[in-house]
Amino acid sequence: MSSLTRLRAGLLGAVLVIAASPGSAATGDLPELGPNVTVGRLPAGGGTFIVRPVAGAPLAAIELWYRAPSTGFGPKPEPALARLAAQVVAASKPIVGDPLGKAVSDAGGRLGITVYSDSIAISAIVPATAARKIVKTLTTAYFAPVFTDDGYRAAQRDVSQESQISAFDPETVVRDTIFAQLFASGPQHFPSLGDPKDVLQISSADAKAFATRAFRSQNAILVVSGAVEPGVADAAVGGRPEDSDAAPEPPASPEIAADAESVTKNFAEQVGGYGWIGPGISSASEATAMDFIADYLFRSDDGYVTRRVSDKFPDALLLGQFITLHDPGVMFVVYSSKGDTSNLRRLIDDGFAAIQKPLEPAAFAAALEAFKYHLLTDLQTPTQMADNFGWYSVEGAAEYAPGVKGERGLYFQAADALTPDFVASVAQKYFAKAPVVVTLRPSPPPQKGKP
Amino acid sequence: MRGALAALALLCLMGAAPAPPPIARYPTALATDLGATKLVVESDADSAISGVQIFVAAGLDRESASNNGIAALVAECVIRTPVNGMPLRDAIAAAGGSLTYTVDGRSVHYYLEARSEHLAALVDPVAQALANPDFSVPTIAAGRASLIARQTEFESNPLSVGIQMFRRSYYATGAGQPALGNSATLAQLSSRDLGAFYRANYKRRAVLSSVVGSVTPELSDGLKRLAGGLADGPVAPVQERARPIPASAPRIVAHRDVSAPWVVVGFAAPAPSSRDFGAMLVLETLLSGAFERNSTTTLGFLERSIGAFYLYDSTPASLVVYVNGSQVDPSLALRELLLVSRSLSQRPLGADTLRHFKAAAQGQFLADSVNLSDRAYLLGAFSSQGLGDDSINSALDALQRTTAADVQRVAKAYLQRYIVALVLPRQTPGQ
Repeated sequence: MSSLTRLRAGLLGAVLVIAASPGSAATGDLPELGPNVTVGRLPAGGGTFIVRPVAGAPLAAIELWYRAPSTGFGPKPEPALARLAAQVVAASKPIVGDPLGKAVSDAGGRLGITVYSDSIAISAIVPATAARKIVKTLTTAYFAPVFTDDGYRAAQRDVSQESQISAFDPETVVRDTIFAQLFASGPQHFPSLGDPKDVLQISSADAKAFATRAFRSQNAILVVSGAVEPGVADAAVGGRPEDSDAAPEPPASPEIAADAESVTKNFAEQVGGYGWIGPGISSASEATAMDFIADYLFRSDDGYVTRRVSDKFPDALLLGQFITLHDPGVMFVVYSSKGDTSNLRRLIDDGFAAIQKPLEPAAFAAALEAFKYHLLTDLQTPTQMADNFGWYSVEGAAEYAPGVKGERGLYFQAADALTPDFVASVAQKYFAKAPVVVTLRPSPPPQKGKP
Repeated sequence: MRGALAALALLCLMGAAPAPPPIARYPTALATDLGATKLVVESDADSAISGVQIFVAAGLDRESASNNGIAALVAECVIRTPVNGMPLRDAIAAAGGSLTYTVDGRSVHYYLEARSEHLAALVDPVAQALANPDFSVPTIAAGRASLIARQTEFESNPLSVGIQMFRRSYYATGAGQPALGNSATLAQLSSRDLGAFYRANYKRRAVLSSVVGSVTPELSDGLKRLAGGLADGPVAPVQERARPIPASAPRIVAHRDVSAPWVVVGFAAPAPSSRDFGAMLVLETLLSGAFERNSTTTLGFLERSIGAFYLYDSTPASLVVYVNGSQVDPSLALRELLLVSRSLSQRPLGADTLRHFKAAAQGQFLADSVNLSDRAYLLGAFSSQGLGDDSINSALDALQRTTAADVQRVAKAYLQRYIVALVLPRQTPGQ
């Protein structure tokens, strides 16, 4: 898992969406994001742009977000299709100029593509002096995608290697497996990166068809943050004329598994995990409470469970997150340690049990204060800020992003309204039923004398 | 790999110079004299969060072999010192902030972060703990257990192990010792030892603070009181010395529970205040990127086969290049690395190549110096190493001034002698 992906995963674990309207890139009113944020329409009837200047490091985070299922639009799911299509576009040399990847690299920047079940983000982090140029190059590349054979081959190589490496990441494997069990269908049922075999089976034609539909300007949300001018989005280009009447993509409608079963899989090491369905994006207060719970229990270094685990199992891996999705969200935890993990699991269970009772007022007040600080500290870089706006916008709830209007925005209002009793009631509601449990363990060694 | 070498050779011969890239700048930093201590500030307008690094010249280079880990253990005790009825670190967290520390060659630096309007109020509890740390037996035991756990984790990382092997071989002072100590020396450190180390090194003149974010008069006053709470008196000078790297390219070998070999090649490197600093930043980027497979998207750490780190936290500085043996043949990679290092010293980079790698080095530098903690660290560390008050921008200026002749000269001066640290998989249990 790339550091960029990990960064996003961390962000998702700590943020909340309060309400949503479906697919809003090129339709409806523009969100009202406060005096420090410039919002507008992309040229020629395109989607939305959001510019949030941030003082500090002379960097710019430039991100294109799209609502699009990772497995494609067709009836037959193709895991990794979205990821591969986005990579081909970045790798293909246009008729004029350099491929996007080279343009970003020549500017001294970094290019990342992160795919989620139902959305995708293409991110460039560049010196702020190159911001306008990269806004133009990025939008040119994706709004009228060029596919070349060389780009397709390079993308297959890159994405299959990324997929191979992610197969060794316990967090990714457990999360994907939990999702596969919780959701009976839809893109959430499949790993968004697929496996190398999936990548190699995707045809160039399928990838191109996906890119042509998904990466339309009308479906795009361009987010720029960092040491940039409010007018930096003027450098974006318009989309293709033939797309001008097209609407943005709607969110996927996942089917929740009626009887989600636990599962055991082979892996290089012993790893455990479990998860529950949680509130969706429209359940504002509950989603806020789940974010608070994830932060209180599992914040790295000082979470309630984190501290107890690190005291008794200093070598343990522990990760707990609430992922706010359109509907529903998912709370999950991943853990591993050398030897028997049953005692480690017990500490985590104890944490989920404890939060189902109201915290003492003083402890709750301190936890809430810490939660709000964590929200702010997780928004201190241009990338974090752009991720924040991009994620909430693509879910149709930009105004509820924690970075909107500082501590006076809707997110912080929801956080301030939390009470010990309400948090406990939300925990009881979602954690009372048995979770989906995932067990990864090494396959037994082959017996001697047998093939 | 061979393609990379050939491509680099070709690039070296390329010609005409295009326009230089525009210069990125951080907000201009300013220094304030607070009497016995100094405050360096980089202001971000409207920053919701602010952070302060409090440097105390009590780092590894003030340790001996017999008390390795004492700098970290003192810091552990500081953050565990009871303040208002609870350990300092917990008190800060409960008030909506965070407190961490890092030990490096020259200093231990405490990083305090909070909402901008709260930061000043949180300096006082830190000052209380720094002025009167708890060196009781239970607190030392808790700190020791934490350090041993972290050291165990450190030992499981082959890259960390390889870099530490090189540092131990390279430095002639405490700077070459493990930052977190080791279980043997930590076990022997007593309250008396910690008190003696504290009294010798935690002096008000040994403190420098750097703030990034929003600075108020209350914050400046708090930091002045913090330094004033420490004993006055001279700060003892320390030796900052490295052993000459022999021409024979010594190899050090260690075995660990790793699935593939890792190679760390360590070189001497110029200090940030040197005129060679910018050129070494270019070389760091060049050696990190010249061998890597082409990828349209930027590779994450786990995907990389080779990388480089310019370590200027200690004096003298060093450069390490690592090879991940699970991604690439380490013998081949090592040979190519050394060939390129030699090539760089024999001919200047072409103009296009220099421009490309200067841009890449600038991008790398910016990406590594973006959050408040890293910026405040660089601001203080560079300032204390002679880059002036606006030290991060001075570093960028040094990079901007770098010429092809500089890169060649620095490659010749620093990259021809090296130490190779090999971290190999264990072949037998207990090896």
